[in-house]
Amino acid sequence: MNKKLTLWTVTTALAVAVACSPKTSNEGSIAYVTNGIDPFWDLCAAGVHQAEAEFGVKCEIHMPTKGLADQKSILETLLAKGIKGIAVSPIDAENQTPFLNEAAKQTVLITHDADAPKSDRQLYIGTDNYKAGRALGQLIKAAIPDGGEVMIFVGRLEQLNARQRRQGVIDELLDRPHQTLGQVKFDEVAKVFKGDKYTVLDTRTDNFVMDTAKSNAEDAITKHPKLACMVGLFAYNPPRCLEAIKEAGKLGQIKVCGFDEQDDLLQAIKDGNAQGTISQQPWKYGYQSVRVLKALVDGDTSVIPDNRFIDVGYKIVTRENIDEFWAEKRKMAELGAQ
Amino acid sequence: MKKNILGILGLFIFIFGFTAVSNENFLSAYNLQNLVKWSSLYAIMGIGVAFVIITGGIDLSIGSVIGLVASLMALMVRSEWNPTVAVLVLIALSVGIGLVHGLLVTKMKLQPFVVTLCGLLFYRGISRWTTDNQSMGYGDTETLNSFFSGKMAIGSFGLPAPFFFLVVVAILAGIFLNRTIWGRYLLALGNNEEGARYSGIGTDRLKITAYVICSFLAGLSGLLFAYELDSVQPAQTGEFYELYAIAAAVLGGCSLRGGQGTILGVIIAAAVIRLLRNSINLLGISTHLEYAIIGMVILCGVAADEIIKRVMARRRTAQVTSAKK
Amino acid sequence: MGDTQTPLLEVTALEKQFPGVRALHNVDLTLNRDEVLAVVGENGAGKSTLMKILAGVHTSDAGTIRIEGKETVIHSVRDAQAQGIALIHQELNLAGNLDIAANIFLGNEPHTAGFIDRGRIHAEAAGHLKRVGLNFPTDTLVADLTIGHQQLVEIAKALSVDARIIIMDEPTSSLSQTETENLFKVVHDLRSQGISIIYISHRLGEVMVLADRVVVLRDGENAGELADNQISHNAMVKLMVGRDLSQFYQRNATEPGSVVIEAENLRTPAHPRSGLSFSVREGEIVGVAGLVGAGRTELLQTLFGVTPAVGGTLKIDGKVIHPRTPLEAIQSGIVLAPEDRKQHGLILEMSVRENASLPRLRMDQKAGAIDFSAEIEVAAGMVEKMDIKTPGLEQVVQYLSGGNQQKMVLGKWLAMKPRLLLLDEPTRGIDVGSKQEIYRLMEELAAGGVAIMFVSSEMEEVLGMADRALVMHEGVITGELNRDQLSEEAVMQLATGNKAAA
Repeated sequence: MNKKLTLWTVTTALAVAVACSPKTSNEGSIAYVTNGIDPFWDLCAAGVHQAEAEFGVKCEIHMPTKGLADQKSILETLLAKGIKGIAVSPIDAENQTPFLNEAAKQTVLITHDADAPKSDRQLYIGTDNYKAGRALGQLIKAAIPDGGEVMIFVGRLEQLNARQRRQGVIDELLDRPHQTLGQVKFDEVAKVFKGDKYTVLDTRTDNFVMDTAKSNAEDAITKHPKLACMVGLFAYNPPRCLEAIKEAGKLGQIKVCGFDEQDDLLQAIKDGNAQGTISQQPWKYGYQSVRVLKALVDGDTSVIPDNRFIDVGYKIVTRENIDEFWAEKRKMAELGAQ
Repeated sequence: MKKNILGILGLFIFIFGFTAVSNENFLSAYNLQNLVKWSSLYAIMGIGVAFVIITGGIDLSIGSVIGLVASLMALMVRSEWNPTVAVLVLIALSVGIGLVHGLLVTKMKLQPFVVTLCGLLFYRGISRWTTDNQSMGYGDTETLNSFFSGKMAIGSFGLPAPFFFLVVVAILAGIFLNRTIWGRYLLALGNNEEGARYSGIGTDRLKITAYVICSFLAGLSGLLFAYELDSVQPAQTGEFYELYAIAAAVLGGCSLRGGQGTILGVIIAAAVIRLLRNSINLLGISTHLEYAIIGMVILCGVAADEIIKRVMARRRTAQVTSAKK
Repeated sequence: MGDTQTPLLEVTALEKQFPGVRALHNVDLTLNRDEVLAVVGENGAGKSTLMKILAGVHTSDAGTIRIEGKETVIHSVRDAQAQGIALIHQELNLAGNLDIAANIFLGNEPHTAGFIDRGRIHAEAAGHLKRVGLNFPTDTLVADLTIGHQQLVEIAKALSVDARIIIMDEPTSSLSQTETENLFKVVHDLRSQGISIIYISHRLGEVMVLADRVVVLRDGENAGELADNQISHNAMVKLMVGRDLSQFYQRNATEPGSVVIEAENLRTPAHPRSGLSFSVREGEIVGVAGLVGAGRTELLQTLFGVTPAVGGTLKIDGKVIHPRTPLEAIQSGIVLAPEDRKQHGLILEMSVRENASLPRLRMDQKAGAIDFSAEIEVAAGMVEKMDIKTPGLEQVVQYLSGGNQQKMVLGKWLAMKPRLLLLDEPTRGIDVGSKQEIYRLMEELAAGGVAIMFVSSEMEEVLGMADRALVMHEGVITGELNRDQLSEEAVMQLATGNKAAA
């Protein structure tokens, strides 16, 4: 009786597990592992599919849903079945290093999106966020050529990419010399930076809470009647700024510049309510990862640059190229969802 | 109980006055509109959870119900449902969720903390699963948009829609709690459930009602938040809101032991929490300190309340003793 | 050992005030060496408070405690233990999931570096068990022992901390006849071993057998003292109630009317195998007697729908009813003033007005809205009729005295005009004056045609107020005694399960 019950339970559980298992369970010789699930990763997946077709290789895509432990068990499973190459975005680089080193002994290991610089990974595919920040600074300069007050909004400043972007923006607006990624000196958070033309007021964080992001923007408009430009460093920040501006009746009066490629922001760029955005073109992460892995698996080490860093670059999106960019994003989103 | 409101009202006036003096823009129509809007949204959630807290229970699932309703609304809009039907379906869903919570707590005798904690996880999971965890917008449903997040101009001041929702909810809740026999029963059972049962009160049904009210108001807030932000992140929308709602209820004079609470207190407390954030931003205090300040103020408010209560109890004892002599 | 003339324990002018209640006033107490001192008094006379102060559970507001002539301060249970005072509570404080030895040494485990010295525990526990005449292996689980044996374990526990004074609070309230006799033997043994006992009991018969001296408390004050040769039933009762018994209970039974409630084979969830059959008529006051745990409270709760019956039939005025909730019982005219007033009878944090109207709200509502003027009328009427002493209708009932609280409970039910009034320990914890008022009320209600059933552990109350008594033992009604058959002996015989003697 009991045995029968157990059998049933196990069978049902297996059936459910099979039914629910991710659509990306296709076998491949290499693997692309993200740090979670997000629309951003779907765009990356599009790049993976592109490269698969171009280089004639099969790549498994794994998106851990339950954090660090989940990512680790995915990697262990991949290693166990003798995968030839892995591109991973480590969730906690510092503490995962010993494990990544183990993995690097058994397979070709590269990092993308986030690096584990102290590990034995072959190379890192990422963006120079400082450079991208400076590009954003140039967008701001174009938005308010006569200068004015600028305020920055971001989810969390504890994240390295956020700090690099912010520093890039400040340095560019204050016309400071360029710094090298990896040795960037960061300015204090609660400080006002006054340049010749531009004043960077403050950086407000919201911990990824949408209503905080919006009320931060609202309060900034209240506090600084002369605010000229609002800058959102994470994908959801610019749309929140736009809403607050719209409700204050200051559309067009306060400029918006941002990062990433949320549809609301793209629409605002098209309508002329936002100056522009810096896109990392997430699909390039996927594309580059597959290209490099394929080469390394085939024994071609010439793809490894001296500094072991491949910059996927960024794209400046403004009203001039918005239609073209948006079309590409749509295409990639569709491809990624497959 | 009147004393409870005085304490929180004093706190509100103090922070309000302090910020108004420190920052000239604080009193601008734009800022006050925003303050009213956010306070109303928080107060609606707070009133909901206050009902459950009055019964001596707790509802941790509010944030996830908000997330679920907001996510499903976006999905329905995308699949071109009739917006009115969609809203009605989601309100019915919220009521259903409250009903299930209430039944599990009363009939199955499960602890409210456990039931609603599982709810917190479950509804969040469902939101992420049904939407593939995609962020979504609400497109151009103009009528709903102005219904849930529009403004009504009174002179140069635009009263935000959530404020009107709050007024209706608060009046109904106030009447229910203070003027009807069910409100009295609710307070009685919160103080002493067995005692209430022995007095011939159908305690189970009332408790279920409290959970239904709570989830219903959470669902309503879900729609209001969704249209306010015009976008939904299935994994994040509403996350931790239950804690703000509970904080507002507790700061507003509800005791987690049950049996105590006033609607007006909860509304003022919700306003205090939003006001604190507003003034932290306007005074240029580091956002990193925000949680610390809110936590501190709530703790001080609750502690002050407790002290007032003790002093009053001592006075009463003295009264009785002297009356005897 | 000190001078034999100095008393072992001497308490003078002790005061204790609880919110709204003066529990003890100017109380003196002397305990000699090798003495069994009985402290008696009605419920609420202050016995338990006095004992809890001696045991360090409460702290006194004023007064002195001398042990062997030396003034001592007892602020905690540990202080009391250090002075050799141990209190055996009415509700035993043992951990059922631990064995005998572990319970005896709970909190005082001999240990080396945090590791319990098991060998020593069991060896020493065996010694203590022997002194109380218990022959069980020391690794027996306490949950497997009977109540009587558990009590002996408590006593052994007191011995393990070298207690010189053991206070026993109602030790026999849940013991069988044999267990009671065994306890008496242990008490005598302990006295001969040089341990003094303070013995608190309602059972005056036991006191007569056991005590060397009796101290009587009434309403928190000393009411008198009886030396060995003065101890008699009447003398004790007279001191306890402050007047002759015949004046205290004024039951003038009249010819009862038609049957109000009739139970046939009624089975409660607590004792599902025993069917209870009885009936109560208009104007009749029926006492339900028995030991603690005999199923009396459970019977009232089943009648009131708190724990619905699992079988049998119940008729009120000839109509079959199945109350499944208190609400349904109330609607059939059955009300209950529960044993635990604070937990079940009242909403302590609510006002006199709100408590008074609670059951009636439903009747006075207008489309769900509270009729505030009717509410105030009901409450004011009750305060006046029941003579409830309160500063006003908005007073929180928590701050009323026990007697006034009980009057509130009764008052709110009387406003419902019940057919059957159930009272569970109606006078527990209230002063003599209020007690008399409650008896007067019972009398009045009965005269007005209400059927009354009351559960009481106070023998005098049963003997004084009941027209008829149902005596229960382990869930079974072992006998029914008419007024002319009622006596302490007859009740105790039935209550301890001796059916034949009745």
